[in-house]
Order: sequence, then structure tokens, then C-alpha cells
Amino acid sequence: MMRAFESPAASSQTVGAAGVARAELEPVPQRAAARGRAIVITSGKGGVGKTTTTANVGAALAAAGKRVVLVDADVGLRNLDIVLGLESRVKHHLLDVLEEKVTLDEALIRDKRSDNLYLLAAAQTREKEDVITAQMKALIETLRDRFEFVLIDCPAGIEMGFKNAVAGANHAIIVCTPEVSAVRDADRVVGLLPNDWRPELIINRLRPHLVKKGKMLSVEDVNGILRLPLLGVIADEPNVIVATNKGEPLALDATSETGAAYRAIAAKICGQDVAAPTVSLSGGSFLSKLGSLFGGRA
Amino acid sequence: MITSGKGGVGKTTTSANLGAALAKRGHKVILIDTDIGLRNLDLVLGVEKRIVFDLVEVVEGRCQVRQALIKDKRFSSLWLLPAAQTREKESVSEVQMKQLVVDLAELADYVIIDCPAGIEHGFRNAIAGALEAIVVTTPEVSAIRDADRVVGKLTDAGIPLRLIVNRIRPEMVKTGDMMSVEDVCEILQAELLGAVPDDEEVIDSTNRGEPIVLDETNRLAAIYDKIARRLGGEIVPFTNLSAPGFIGRLFTLWKAG
Repeated sequence: MMRAFESPAASSQTVGAAGVARAELEPVPQRAAARGRAIVITSGKGGVGKTTTTANVGAALAAAGKRVVLVDADVGLRNLDIVLGLESRVKHHLLDVLEEKVTLDEALIRDKRSDNLYLLAAAQTREKEDVITAQMKALIETLRDRFEFVLIDCPAGIEMGFKNAVAGANHAIIVCTPEVSAVRDADRVVGLLPNDWRPELIINRLRPHLVKKGKMLSVEDVNGILRLPLLGVIADEPNVIVATNKGEPLALDATSETGAAYRAIAAKICGQDVAAPTVSLSGGSFLSKLGSLFGGRA
Repeated sequence: MITSGKGGVGKTTTSANLGAALAKRGHKVILIDTDIGLRNLDLVLGVEKRIVFDLVEVVEGRCQVRQALIKDKRFSSLWLLPAAQTREKESVSEVQMKQLVVDLAELADYVIIDCPAGIEHGFRNAIAGALEAIVVTTPEVSAIRDADRVVGKLTDAGIPLRLIVNRIRPEMVKTGDMMSVEDVCEILQAELLGAVPDDEEVIDSTNRGEPIVLDETNRLAAIYDKIARRLGGEIVPFTNLSAPGFIGRLFTLWKAG
């Protein structure tokens, strides 16, 4: 049921050990036909579901036949490996690559379920300040040559880790829960992104029964403030916690409604015309409170 | 200080409710929001419209600390020092933060520092003036791994810590889909200060700016009150989350004591 914890030391391999790892390397797709899109998944507030979103959207894109690499930019507090169930296979990480201790191919971990899904893990025992923004940017550029989608899982906050995660991206997906604090943080993050980006929004952990009772912000409440193109709405369900603990993204579960919602988001990202999210209940009761908070931008 | 590593596990909600619970017991409490740029403690307390000065302005000497403190209208001994919203965490140094906490400790029985997510500059600032720490975590693998990192950093800094396990869903613990409080304490090797069940009312209370401890009918009010007493050194038995009236399920989260 629960998995044992990895020792942080497992990620601190020496250069000398790289040769051993080379033998077990999986083939990595070389050059995509066109340059891939680098999308940063960000939110400002922590715990709203950035990592879960990254894993699920990535898995859904890969299941749709796209070549996808997921980059965990949360140096020191990595978790994307856990959500994907790949934590025991992390040998090298992002900083090893940036510091040229190993090659990119040595650090990329191929997903056990999909041939075209890869993870570049974050270092667990290093600091975000160890990443040099220009190097990060160059790395994402390289990945864009080889993958159709580069999804960058951004750390919480708006400090150095955020700046590095955004540096190489050319698009953003904002993840927000229907809570006043999450909406305020998301609004702040949108303001910090480059002006010519048009970030898209995923509203996560909506509880329709609470919206109905007027005890939770509705999709309209949230987007009445943020005013971003809506990519999808994900309902809150306990299965997400179970899936995270097990390391199995719900996007790959054909019977899961949440999985279907992630697959619809992936289709939309690929430019397919997907029906608008159905989890939409009118609310509006919170709009006056929200409005007073966002006089500036909204 | 209230910290966690991972975001969204309930640091700010814990700060507000623990602060309010202590104030209800008559203690003088000052809450400091150190999440510069992404402040939220003002929202959870419902005082966002009353902010005039903030932490950065106090540190920069542009106002007196007393001018920046917002007195809660519901508790006569609870104050908030809000974070700046349009500045960066680097606007404040660790030395300045340490001095600020020392100054505020003169005015109150408890100074509760609400730490930002992560372990960057904001975390180092929050840790600078703290004498003890409360690590908030949820019973999820990712939250516990992050908490483990933070426990290591606090231990290195010589700061004693206790644990609050937040958002427990006893029915999921029973089915084996969620770790138990005992599991979490075992992994983190830390002393338990409190265990708080998941409650939908918390979301609504946050949106309304009314800490859940204001609602005496909510079971969380009693739980936060017990945490407040434990913080003051009292030995208080842990609430059995399986007690009748909770979810009506017969199982025990903790062994007695």
C-alpha cells in the first residue's frame, strides 16, 4: 500500500557511477519534427495540485502518442517522481545535468508504463539557488528539440525556484483551487509572467456539492477574477490521494472520471476541439469579496 | 514558527486557528505572516481590508511596529502583522527578522510565525527568529517527504519541533488508503502536538475570513483548543477521532496517551 521512503543519498551519485548506469539506459527519442512546446505548470500557492496536474497531463499526452518529458523544478522538495511511481529509479537529476556531471540521456528516466514519457527529476539535497537560470533555459531549449511537450513542474512560491522554472518555458498553465487564497496567489503569478503569454487555467479540486450550497467558489467566481482561457475543471476526489500514494496517475485509468477529465485537457492542449467542462455550477456569492481583493488587475 | 515544506497543507489555517485558540484562553498572541508577495493570513482572519502597513515597512523603519499590528475584532488579545504583497522575500534579511521577533516577543505571550511554502529565502527568514517550530503535514507521501526535509533543516538549526498531522480522513486510514497519525510520527520521528481531521467547513471558513475555532459547534474548535493547551505545556489526551458523533466508525487512530 504505502511505499517506503527513499534515502536522499540515493540521488547523490558520483560521476564515476554514471558509466554503470549507462548500461541500463533506455532509448530516448531523438529530434522531433518541429520544436516542442515548453509549458510551465504553476500556481503561486502550494498544495493546489501542480505536481498531480503535471503527472496526469503528461501521462495523458503520452498516452495520446505525444513525446513528453516532465521536468521537476522543485529542487530540494521533489515529488513528481513519487506521483509517477518512479522514485526508486532516480539516479541522476537536473543539477547533475546542468553541472555536466552526467549527460541528459543518463538523467532521463523513462516511465514504466509509456515509451514516450520521460522524467527529469529534481535534486533532493540541493538548493534552488544552485540552479543557474541561463543554464536552465538552455536545458529546456535542448529538450524542446527532442520532445513535443516539455512540462515543467514549478515549485510553490515566487522565489528563485519559480523564476528558474519559468525561464525556459514559452507557455503557462495556472492551477488554482476554488479558494480565495489560491485565487489571490494565482492572480499574483499571472502578473509575474511575461506580458505576451496567455496562460490557461485548470481549476482543481472543485466540490460541486459545496458550490451548490454556496460554500465554495464556482468556476465562474474563480474565472470572473482570473479571466483566463479555461483548459479544464477537475473535481475533488479521494482517489487522487490514493493514486499519488501508489504512484499511478489517474489519467491512465480508463474507468476514472478524473482520468477522463485529464485526457480531455490533453486533447485540448493538442488543439482538438473538446467540449467545455461540464462541472460548472453558477455561484457568484463570493464575487463581491473577491472583487475587493483584486481591484488592481481584474 | 509554523512550517511544512510543502505548500497547501494548512500552515496558514493552523496559524490562524492556533492563534485564535490561544487568544481565547486569554494569552496575548501576535501572528506574523512571513509569506511576502503571497500573503494569505489576512484573508483567513478576515482582516484584509484593514491593512495599512506591513512587515517590510516595519523592518525598513517606515512605521512603528504598533502601527502595523492589526487587532482582531473578535479576540481582544490577537494581533496580525501582515506581509507585504507587492515586495519580494529578499526585501527582509534574516538579521532584521530575528530582531523583529525579539521586539514582538516583548509585547506578547506567543509570537506565531506563518512560514511560506518551500525552503528558500522566505523559509530562512521565518526560521531566523523562531525558538520552536510546529511542522504541519498531511498524511500523504509527498507532504511527508517535504516535511522530512524541513525536520532535517530545523534539527540542524537546533530548533525543537512538534508535529501537527492535518486533514486526516479516518475512513481512508481504515481502508488502508491513507497513512495513520502513528505512521506519520514514526516516519518523521517527531513528537505529536495535534491531529486534525479533514473538514469541509474549513474551506468555507477561510473564504469567509472566520477561523473555524469561532464556531464552538465544530469539533475542530475543541481540537485546536487542546493543541493550544499542549503548546503551553499542559498534558492533554489526544481526541479519539473515532468517538461517537464523529464518523460513527469504530476504530482507534491512536493508542491511549
